[in-house]
Amino acid sequence: KKMAFKMSMALRPVKSIVVRFCPFEPNVESTRKFLQCIYHKKIQATNTNCEVTADVRHDGSEPVVDVTFADGDRLIMKGANLTTGEMLRALESRCNAKDLKEEQKNKKKNP
Amino acid sequence: LRRQVQEALRGSRMVAVCQYNSMPDEDLVTLRHYLRKHNIHVKFVLNEVVRPVLAQSKYRNLLPLFVCRNVLLVSPETRAREMLRVLKGVPQVNLLGACIDDTILSRQGVESFARLPPLEVSQGQTVAALSLLSSQTSSLLQRGPAHLTVLLDAHIRRLQDAAGPTEPPPG
Repeated sequence: KKMAFKMSMALRPVKSIVVRFCPFEPNVESTRKFLQCIYHKKIQATNTNCEVTADVRHDGSEPVVDVTFADGDRLIMKGANLTTGEMLRALESRCNAKDLKEEQKNKKKNP
Repeated sequence: LRRQVQEALRGSRMVAVCQYNSMPDEDLVTLRHYLRKHNIHVKFVLNEVVRPVLAQSKYRNLLPLFVCRNVLLVSPETRAREMLRVLKGVPQVNLLGACIDDTILSRQGVESFARLPPLEVSQGQTVAALSLLSSQTSSLLQRGPAHLTVLLDAHIRRLQDAAGPTEPPPG
């Protein structure tokens, strides 16, 4: 399942991703796995300008993935009750939707 | 493998746990090289191997950190400042926590520890603070008698001045 994501996810429309978690809390595994997947070289290669930051805290806060897109949209995913697959799918669907919108815009400009 | 981990932990004053996200091999070699310069060794560990070892050692409170792929940075010294400086340039390795001199620290704890002045400077500052108090006490205690001395001197001079015109000068 993870390999499939790695092949098809394109981070082109993404400006930055901040992954915030408290490693001593028990509900961070899926968020940490998400961070690990994002750093995979195939995904990184789709957009080298995308900044991925890990914000390691120790304040009991919930694990959160905060994605900022190039067009200003934000996607905030609370990882405590989500699996890694669900978070990757959510990001992938939004990236694909934005890519499609961009393609359609370009087609309209150059018919 | 467990024995190797135990050996590594036994001889270390500083054990830092980091999440390892994939990075190019040459970057990993560079990271190892820079850390080795500060006597910090990089140890890749499998969670299945390391968890039982930790559960029976003083590091058991670090157990929650061992999910996903991790790497241990171990060192017989406690050069947290240098370690943080090297890791700043490596976003793929995220410091999660550490145990330095038998004290479990979070990431913020390690950063605070790195900002501490060296032991000799701290000792000098403590000695200066303690001796400041006692020197203040000493000057406070002396102030009373010193003031009395000044007053008595002034009194004597006044008496001498008053008695001086009535006595004929000697010879």
